[in-house]
Amino acid sequence: MVIDFSSFYNLPRELDRFFDETWRPSTISQRRNAYPPVNISEDKTNIYVFSEIPGVEIEDIDITLSDGSLVIKGNRKHGTGSYYRQERPTGLFQRVVNLNVSINPDKVSAKIKDGILEIVIPKADEAVPRKISIKAQ
Amino acid sequence: MTSELRKAEAKALPRFSPNTDIIEQQDGFHIYMDMPGVAKKNLVIDLKENDLEISARAEHPRMEGVSNVHLEFGDCEYTRSFTISDVVDRENIKASLKNGVLEMFLPKAEKAKPRKIEIQAG
Repeated sequence: MVIDFSSFYNLPRELDRFFDETWRPSTISQRRNAYPPVNISEDKTNIYVFSEIPGVEIEDIDITLSDGSLVIKGNRKHGTGSYYRQERPTGLFQRVVNLNVSINPDKVSAKIKDGILEIVIPKADEAVPRKISIKAQ
Repeated sequence: MTSELRKAEAKALPRFSPNTDIIEQQDGFHIYMDMPGVAKKNLVIDLKENDLEISARAEHPRMEGVSNVHLEFGDCEYTRSFTISDVVDRENIKASLKNGVLEMFLPKAEKAKPRKIEIQAG
């Protein structure tokens, strides 16, 4: 063995992982049980979807909008050689995000930076809240 | 009260041990670590004697005027350390950060590379 990992069953790390999974920080509302993890925010005109997809090029990510849902698909490849440790997930992944508002599918933009995918989906004109001025009589 | 809470959160970011692959190839070891959201300036790699320590901070830009509908990840810190042995050529360790993945290459020292021993006919 070339890289020394102290023990085969790395108990401290397993404990750490258990606590990581159990006590998520209070700012995080949902437990991470689907891959890839997504954050969704919205303002009056756009919906913002962020997703942690490290090590995947934008060309290898397939984003489809269909019938009120956003589908993020991709494939994480793995290297060749003899593995001493493999913790990074590999293979095909898919995540479906339901959008409950009507959107403008022609103006969706997506980019990836430092492994974070950012998708901006503009809401359709009829879904943007409008102020109606009331005239006093 | 809320501002105090926010301050406390800013100080103590949740700390994670990043998912790591270690692969041995003929020329050396490749270590891949998933660190989404980490920019180059927030990454520190320290080699002290036999300990290779990696620490990084993931920052997600805060957007003003938006309501967060659903959150599954956020700002955090990544730390992990490895022990490397004499087989690794310390002078030539290379690291690169691309697309949220830190790739480190630890070449094997010349003396540790496998070699064929020729048998001389006597």
